Formats: sequence, structure tokens, C-alpha cells
Amino acid sequence: MMRKFALLAVTILFLAAFGGTASAADTIPVGVPLAMTGAYTGSGQDYFKGIKMAIDEINEAGGLLGKQLEIIRYDSKEFAPEVVMQGADYLCGQKKVASVHAGWAGWGQDVRAYGKYDAPFFADDGSQAAVDVFREDPKKYYNIYQLTDVGVEQAKSMFRLLMTLPYKYPNNKVVIINTDDSWGVEVGDTLEKSFKEKGWKVAKRETVPYGTNEWGAILTQIRRIKPAIIHVEIPSAQEVITFFRQFIKRPTKSILSYGWGITPREVLQNLGKDADGIVGEMPSGLPGPKAPNPAAQAWIDKYVKLYKHQIPAGSWITYTAVKAWANAVKNVGDAYNFKAVNKYLKDNGYKGLLGQIKWDKDNVLRAQPGAPIVHYQVQGGELIAIYTDPPIKPYGNYKFIVPRWIK
Amino acid sequence: MSFKRMATIMGGTFGLVAAAPLFVGDIRFIMHILIMCLIWAVVASCWDLIMGFAGIFSFGQVAFFAIGAYSSAIFSVNLGVPAVLAMLLAGLFTALIGVLVGLPCLKLAGPYVALVTFGVHMTLMPLLRGKIGMALGSGGSVGILTIPPIRIFGYSFSSANLVPTFYFALLLAMACTAVILVVIKSHWGTAFLALKDSEDFAMSLGVSAFKYKLMVFALTSFLTGVIGAFYGHYIGMISTRMLELDLFCTLMVMVVVGGIGMFPGTILGAFITVIANELLAPLGTYRAMVMGALVVILVLLLPNGVMGFWLKPAEAEAPAA
Repeated sequence: MMRKFALLAVTILFLAAFGGTASAADTIPVGVPLAMTGAYTGSGQDYFKGIKMAIDEINEAGGLLGKQLEIIRYDSKEFAPEVVMQGADYLCGQKKVASVHAGWAGWGQDVRAYGKYDAPFFADDGSQAAVDVFREDPKKYYNIYQLTDVGVEQAKSMFRLLMTLPYKYPNNKVVIINTDDSWGVEVGDTLEKSFKEKGWKVAKRETVPYGTNEWGAILTQIRRIKPAIIHVEIPSAQEVITFFRQFIKRPTKSILSYGWGITPREVLQNLGKDADGIVGEMPSGLPGPKAPNPAAQAWIDKYVKLYKHQIPAGSWITYTAVKAWANAVKNVGDAYNFKAVNKYLKDNGYKGLLGQIKWDKDNVLRAQPGAPIVHYQVQGGELIAIYTDPPIKPYGNYKFIVPRWIK
Repeated sequence: MSFKRMATIMGGTFGLVAAAPLFVGDIRFIMHILIMCLIWAVVASCWDLIMGFAGIFSFGQVAFFAIGAYSSAIFSVNLGVPAVLAMLLAGLFTALIGVLVGLPCLKLAGPYVALVTFGVHMTLMPLLRGKIGMALGSGGSVGILTIPPIRIFGYSFSSANLVPTFYFALLLAMACTAVILVVIKSHWGTAFLALKDSEDFAMSLGVSAFKYKLMVFALTSFLTGVIGAFYGHYIGMISTRMLELDLFCTLMVMVVVGGIGMFPGTILGAFITVIANELLAPLGTYRAMVMGALVVILVLLLPNGVMGFWLKPAEAEAPAA
């Protein structure tokens, strides 16, 4: 019995050691709810890199209004409704953060959870569902800011890119594969509609769950269809890697479009130069590897030096969001005057590395020159920006190269 | 363990929890955690009843929880049924599904029951996200984001109103776990244990495996469905993300920490697991690893879970008695 109580005492002490963290009074706490465990950990890390870089810069420059910023993290795990709500209550209710910087955050659930508070909340839901929740009560949700355009608009941009490529398609057949979550369905539906309107035949539309790694049956059908375009919209590295590995064994002469799925770092870390030829996109992206201006180039160089790789999706725009919030606070003069900070953000936006950014009436950062959708092609094992949108136009001196499996 | 000791542990636990709003009533985050603890305590207790006492390796508890949440939300959002009635209907509907799942399981041995019930869990997500789910009003991959709160005599119980909602959850959890306690200590519970220990011998004494196994499926599904429905109305939104393996694993940890077949250990297990999980939050990505290690150590040193502290040596050798 003594041993049992000793065990209990040690366990309680161990837990208490972690539970006693408190933020210092002379700092400004900033909430960062991101997936730290579970299926979305990879994207969570990419978002965090941008947020941390911005906060470190602000702190190194003397802080905000003379106070250092303090990051308070919260593990959003896999975005179950009660976890999203718990995150909002913890960061805004308990820790009294001055702002919240997230990435993927709940696709509408987050709008409800953080809309109960007033601290500015930045998310990258990229989802019409989140916008629909916002539209129910824009006054209540005035503190919610989306960092990327919705899936529908991103899909339209993907379609514009595919129709703009300097390449003559051998036929008008397309195969669309997407995940069964709101993002995948939103993009898949929009692409299907766009292709049909253009007179293309959607020869196959497949909605698959996350974790699909055996592509034999689908690839057999694709090899029979011989489509001009295969679009795979799966924002998870494992699935797109296995698809490519199995596709390339007996490839069809198809343009392989990966949409957002090309941007997680794990994809290129695993596929390397084998992936040369695949196209994809990044919303609210900073085109590279050669940036459009010296300031942006300096940012890319710093990022690469810090993290030893090119920019994945989410890093640059979360960095920009932190800077935008800090700029608003500086102008208002009080991090906790939420009404004024939100008004400043809404009215003025922010002048970022690519120019002015501004949220629209739904507080969505629509694709705009200051935060464009960047279309990439993998060349030499790296993401090379070949087009930016809007308006859709070639980027720099980079050129689209016909994939080797088509030549 | 005697009825009196079980009731004392339950009463003591719920009594302590009931006093919590006096100290933390104005801290939303903690109140929310306490409400979630009460919800998980019911789900874990139902799981313990079917697995620990009836010996049926059912892995469908999270699926029944989600079915309860979704059906109540659909009843109230699409058909305009008042939330309280929708919760009851959701419980009955989930019990029906539980019986339908239980029927084929009656002919299967332990591991195969686990496979079938886990299969139900795994198929539920694509079903709710797909065209069938959309037609039923599941909201597809987006989920249902506008579930009305429970209203009784014009008073609303929701996440905007945490202290009253906490007491509503407490009453519901007490009622559900009291039902489980009564069942365990009734002739039903004795029949469950007899079937678990030796099905052939129990049947030779006239205990109907068909009747009692189906009964336990129906009862645990009903209670899980009702608490799932409460979850939906409390949070105000549901999505298929509740079917991710994260919750499944956490609930399993609650049952193990509380002690399998050691009711009311699961109630304590739910509180300990959730609170430990929150306290370990600063560890970030290492949280799951540390939590897992703590559970392994706990299982090795306390094979009967935290209930091991209350067991007499003879009871420790014969759990679930």
C-alpha cells in the first residue's frame, strides 16, 4: 500500500511541476493554438515557424509597446469540437492573450469558439464553411480574420493555371481525386464544375479518406482513361507521396496537379527530384526561390538560414499576420483595446513584404497582389514559382517545363 | 466491491465535483474541462460495463457517442424537435443501432466482436461525410455548426452559461452512472459476470446469453447516445473530427486508469486522465509520449487502476465481483 501511495504522490508532483506555468506580468501573451500532436502536426509546425520568427523579431527589436511578447501554445490535436472550444477558453478566457495566431483551426468551429471573445484571431481555414459562420453574425465575429482565400476561389485559381499553362493537352479528359473533408470536397466540386463548363469530361471523380495509400485500383482506371490532367487534392504528405510513387511506375501522359498538397515540406523531402514536373499552389504565398523584391528576398534568406529549407505553406502568411497585429497595436497604443485594434486591422490592413494586404467584408484575405496565390512546379527537387494570381501571370523568369513522363 | 462502497466512492467524487463552481465557477476553461470530464465519465463507464463486466470486447463506444450527438442534432436542427426530447429520441435511436450492431456480435468470439464494433466506428466517418450523411442532414465534412442549446422553461443550458450547464451535466452523469451501478448490483450484473466468467456454465444454469448481451448493448448504447446528444447541444457544433482516433485512445486510457471492470473507477479515471492531459500540455509534442509512459507505469504498478487503492486484497484478486 505504501508503494502505491508513493507512486501516486510522485505522479501528482510530476504533473504539478508542469501545471504550474504562469506568464510574467510584464509580457504580452500571444495565443498559438496549433496541432502539436496527431495527423496535422506537420502543418502545425510550418505555421508555427512563421509565427515564432515574427515574434522573435519583435522581441529582438525591443518588444511591443516596450513589452516582450510571450507565446502561449495550445495543442489543437485533431480539431474535435470540444478541443477547439477548450483552446479558446484556455487562451482567451484563462490566459487573457492579446491575440491568437492559428493555422488550420477548425473550419468554422473556430469562428464560433473564438468569436465569443474579442482578441483578434487569425486562422487559415481556407473554407467557405468558416465564412458562412462569420456571415451569420459579422458583428459578433468581428475579431475573426482568415489568412487565405476560401477553397472555392483557390480551386478556381488552380483551374486558371491549368488552362494557362503553355502546353497543348492531348485530350479533354480530367481525373479529380480529393479528400472527404470540407477542403477536399470544396476544391473537388469547384474543379469539376469549372472543367465541365469549359467542355472537359470529368472522366473520374474520386473522394478518398485520409490514410489512403494503396492506389492500385484507381491507377488502373486512370491508365485506361489516359486523362490529360490528374488533379489530386490531398493536404497530407503521406497520401500524395504514395500516389506519386505508384503512378510513376507506369505513368500516363498527364499533367499531375497536386493543388495545396505539393506544399508540405515532407513531400519534397521524400520525393526530391523525382517529383520534378508536378504542379501545385500555395495561397497567400511569397513566390520564390527568387523573391520579387529585396525585402522579401531577405526574408526568404533568413527563413532558409533559420530552418534549413524553403518556405512551406502557411509560414509566410502567419508571419505577416503577427506583424499586421503588432502594427495595429502600435498604432492603437494598447494591446488590450480590442475594439480599436480590430477596427485598425479592418480599416487599414497592413503593408507587408509584397505590398498592401486588406481583409474584405467577410474578414477574408482574398487572393490579392500583396498576398497572392502562388502556383509552383517542382524543378530540381524544389518548389519554383511559375505563376502568381491575381491576375494569373507568369512569375519572374521561371518557366513551366513539360514533365519527363509526358515527353 | 459492495454496493455501499461503490455508492460512497461515486457520491464522494460527485460531491467534490459539485463544490467546484464555488471556487472556479468564473473560470470558463476549468468549468468546460469539468463538464467534459462528466461527459467522458459516462462514456467510459458504459464502456466499462460492456467490456469490463459483460466481457464483450466492444470498440464501438465512440461511434455510439457520435451517433447520439448527430441524431439529436439532426432531430433538433432539421425537424425542430426540442432539445430535451431530441436527446431522449437520440438515446433510443442509438440503442436501436446498438442492438443492430449487437445482433451479429452475439455469434462472434471476443476479438471478432472488437473487429465488428471497431468496423462500425471506422465506417461512420465516411458515412456521415458522404452523400448518405448529407441526405440525412449530417452537414457532410463540415458538420453541424448550429445546434440549439437545451432549453427548459425558457432557461438555456449551453457553453455561454457554464455553471448551470455544469450542474445539468452533473445531474445527467449522476443519473447515468447510478443506472450503471444499479445494473451491476442487480441480477443483470450477476448474469453479466456469470456469462463473462463461463458462458457455457451460465447458460446451463438458465442464463440467456442472447437476452443479456443484447440488453447490455442496448443499455450502454442508450446511455452513451444520451450523453453524446448532451455533448452536441452543449458545444453547439459537431463534426466527424470527434471520430478521430484521438478521442478513442483517450477514452481507453480513462477505462484503464480507472480499472477495467472496477466501476466506479472509470469516473475517477475520466477526471484523472483529462486533468493529467491538461497539466501535461506544456510538453507539447512530447505530451502523448509522457502520458503513454505514465499509463504504462500505472498499469504495471496498479493493475486494477486507481481503484486498486480502495480494494481489499481478496477483491484485488477477483475484480469486477
